[in-house]
Amino acid sequence: MSKRAVDAVFQALFILSDLRFLLRTTAPWHDLDEGEQERAAAYIKKVKRQIAILEEELIR
Amino acid sequence: MKCGVGIDARDIEEMYINIDPIQAGGRLTADAMKAAISFGDGYSVCDNCRRPFRLDYIQNPPIAQFHADLAAWLNMDAVRVIPGARRGFQAVASTYVEKGDPVIVTALAHYTEFMAVEAAGGIPLEIPKDAKNHITPDAAAEKIETVIREFSRTPPLLFVDHVDYQYGNVHDVAGIVKVAHQYDIPVLVNGAYSVGIMPVDGRTLGADFIVGSGHKSMAAPAPSGLLAATDEHAEEVFRTTKAKGDVTGRTFGIKEVEMMGCTLMGVTVVGMMASFPHVRERVKNWESEVEHSQAVTDALLSIEGTKVLSDYPRRHTLTRIDTRGSFDTVAQQHKKRGYFLSSELRRQGITGVIPGSTRIWKFNTFGLTAKQSQHVGESFVKIARENGLNIL
Repeated sequence: MSKRAVDAVFQALFILSDLRFLLRTTAPWHDLDEGEQERAAAYIKKVKRQIAILEEELIR
Repeated sequence: MKCGVGIDARDIEEMYINIDPIQAGGRLTADAMKAAISFGDGYSVCDNCRRPFRLDYIQNPPIAQFHADLAAWLNMDAVRVIPGARRGFQAVASTYVEKGDPVIVTALAHYTEFMAVEAAGGIPLEIPKDAKNHITPDAAAEKIETVIREFSRTPPLLFVDHVDYQYGNVHDVAGIVKVAHQYDIPVLVNGAYSVGIMPVDGRTLGADFIVGSGHKSMAAPAPSGLLAATDEHAEEVFRTTKAKGDVTGRTFGIKEVEMMGCTLMGVTVVGMMASFPHVRERVKNWESEVEHSQAVTDALLSIEGTKVLSDYPRRHTLTRIDTRGSFDTVAQQHKKRGYFLSSELRRQGITGVIPGSTRIWKFNTFGLTAKQSQHVGESFVKIARENGLNIL
């Protein structure tokens, strides 16, 4: 059992949901302003961290 | 992209500005999306269901607290979550209406109110709307008097829509309730287009029941909604079962008859819960939402020949518009006929107007950002100009 891997899956999906919501509020152009770009960058960085955890936990 | 065999992933909300009249208030918050991921399994909220085994008693997730919060928020005494507003109409009608009873609805009532009355054996009778498409207290009084004369009894129930689905007009519910109560008629307020998008106070309205729609106005998955009642009526509509098996002798605890036991057992209730803090906040921004609606309406009215059929100035985000004198004249000559408008809107990144509609149609701007609503207004004008219509 890898609670850490399970948490990472949920966490990644939740962060991607935030990103999805950003796509909705900026539709149809997805032309992000400075603040929105910062948020998007933060989400992507966080998702990458969760993917790294999954690699550590599941692909050794 | 597929999300299952033969099922295309839905990306309408990500790819377009959606002004569909019924979809605007039900778009999920990011937290509701997360809840949907976490609680998608069927009986997912039942992990920690303990005696007395009823949904509104569950502490984890905090469904019991959610019920209390909803009641306080609406200034009502008791609330149950239900699978859509129509099930609220049905529960109340089933409790109060006997076969052959006259039941007062309105000329702007949703069809499910009629069906709830019909299912209970009642006879729906409409309060007429006035020339401005409003249901007035005077018209309610007149109808009640007429019905009492014809049926020699008082109707057991009156349904009124806080905001009607046809025009998005806000009606004088408090005035109508006052009239109904003079005849001791309890009133169910249909808040499908108000609860969750604009401030609603049950005590101020004087409502005996308030019904809300989760998927229409509370940023929740379908089917979801709520039925709120005053203490006086909660005991009746939320009565518990007395049934007993004649062979087995089984009884069924405190399950509520009209709720058919538990109602929303998974993603629907948790989706509602996850959105609720956001919903509670967003109703405070109602004036801003109405401003967006007004701006888009004004843009449409700047196109010669266009009329607004809803109240003007706008008091709601749902608007009924008449473009028979504008976009429909283009449709008569256009190679795409009536489909040109939805097609042109799509090119502008806007969806939600029923394809083929160029005569009388509705749109809803709820939830759009200022930039998005401005784009919608400008797009209507741009399409009009490109198709030879005059801009006033």
